[in-house]
Amino acid sequence: MSEQSSFEELQRELDEVVARLERGDVPLDEALALWRRGEELHRACVERLDRAELEIEELRLGDGSGRDSEPPGG
Amino acid sequence: METGAAAERKVYSVAEFNRRLATYVGRVRDVWVEGEISELRRSPAWATVFLTLKDTRTGACLSATMPRRRFDPIETLTEGERVQANGSLSLYEARGEVSLRAGTLERVGAGDHAAALALLRRALAAEGLFAPERKRRLPRFPRAVGLLTGVDAAARGDVVAAIATRYPAVRLVIAETRVQGPWAPGAIVAALGRLSACDGVDVVILARGGGSFEDLLPFSDERVVRAVAGCAVPVVSAVGHEQDEPLCDLAADVRAPTPTAAARLVVPDLDELLAGLGRSRQRLGAGTARALERDRARLERSGERLAVAPRLLLERRRSALDRSAARLQALSPRATLGRGYAIVRAGGAVVRDAGTVSAGGLVEIELAQGGLGARVEEVRP
Repeated sequence: MSEQSSFEELQRELDEVVARLERGDVPLDEALALWRRGEELHRACVERLDRAELEIEELRLGDGSGRDSEPPGG
Repeated sequence: METGAAAERKVYSVAEFNRRLATYVGRVRDVWVEGEISELRRSPAWATVFLTLKDTRTGACLSATMPRRRFDPIETLTEGERVQANGSLSLYEARGEVSLRAGTLERVGAGDHAAALALLRRALAAEGLFAPERKRRLPRFPRAVGLLTGVDAAARGDVVAAIATRYPAVRLVIAETRVQGPWAPGAIVAALGRLSACDGVDVVILARGGGSFEDLLPFSDERVVRAVAGCAVPVVSAVGHEQDEPLCDLAADVRAPTPTAAARLVVPDLDELLAGLGRSRQRLGAGTARALERDRARLERSGERLAVAPRLLLERRRSALDRSAARLQALSPRATLGRGYAIVRAGGAVVRDAGTVSAGGLVEIELAQGGLGARVEEVRP
């Protein structure tokens, strides 16, 4: 479960896993592997949502004269 | 002669001079002066509003004052706007400064705005700036949301509150900028550029609460409208009230009736997401259980077949054996004899041809039961 995957990617994979499992033509070994993967994805998704906090960042703008009060590279 | 000259002079004290000057100055009544508001100083504690009228061409200045009760109804006036002021001149004797005591302040060209706006709207529409096919879809899960709003605007609070309760798993980048007055368009364009260039910002909300027609004019400024249409990421516009319809609303990818509604549009709903995840998990479990059940059933059928297989095999073998025995039986000479045939031998050899024996010779006859020793009476070849 890479940290780089976005929530959206994780959720999409979970949907795919569920869809494949529900098609019903998967061999048992594969079904169990899909289930394990699905549980893992579900946990990862919920964890992401649970630990998320709104992060507010103020963009420091100039006074409209085009000058910028933000430090370079910021 | 200095003393003589001094004696002839009429010398005023400054106070006396200013007092006299004031009566001259005060005779200038009911004049109209046009200029740009360049310095506006007002406070709820003051009964008077102070401003400077500036000649846009030469930079010449004239101080002006206005009673606050007269100014308040038009308090949307801001620095940089062209006005025509009507009033009388007065002298501030303590400083010897002339100022225009205005009773009326009229925005120049205010009536022209609506017509100019309609013209601009037609031109931009003809250019295709508001075309539906230009609209982009909003990202379902933005990494960060940009918010462009006025300083200390209520709109800001609405957006923050709505996002915090709905989907806190997001970063909110806020750019507060001038949204009113002649410098607002440039500031808005700059802020929009900066916001959309911020790392992770996948969508921008343009939020401005309701206001007068003039208040919202910057959001119909051509520069702002073009910047919204050309923004690197989708823009949700929540400017003014529904009926205002500033041009930036038409150029935006999505129009929201309020800042709160805009916030709801740009982020998914956390509760819905969690509920959806719960459903996915249930289906996951159910799918796996079905796969297990299906295989168990298949296995049971295999087990049964496995159990009956040896018996079937034995039976098959047994019947095959029986068939072989029957065939053996059928081939046995005894069976032939049993059907009434007899075997004739002469000298140990089976007789198949009458010509091989002669009359009077001895033959052995084998029957199904026992045998006979016989003499041949006649040969019929």
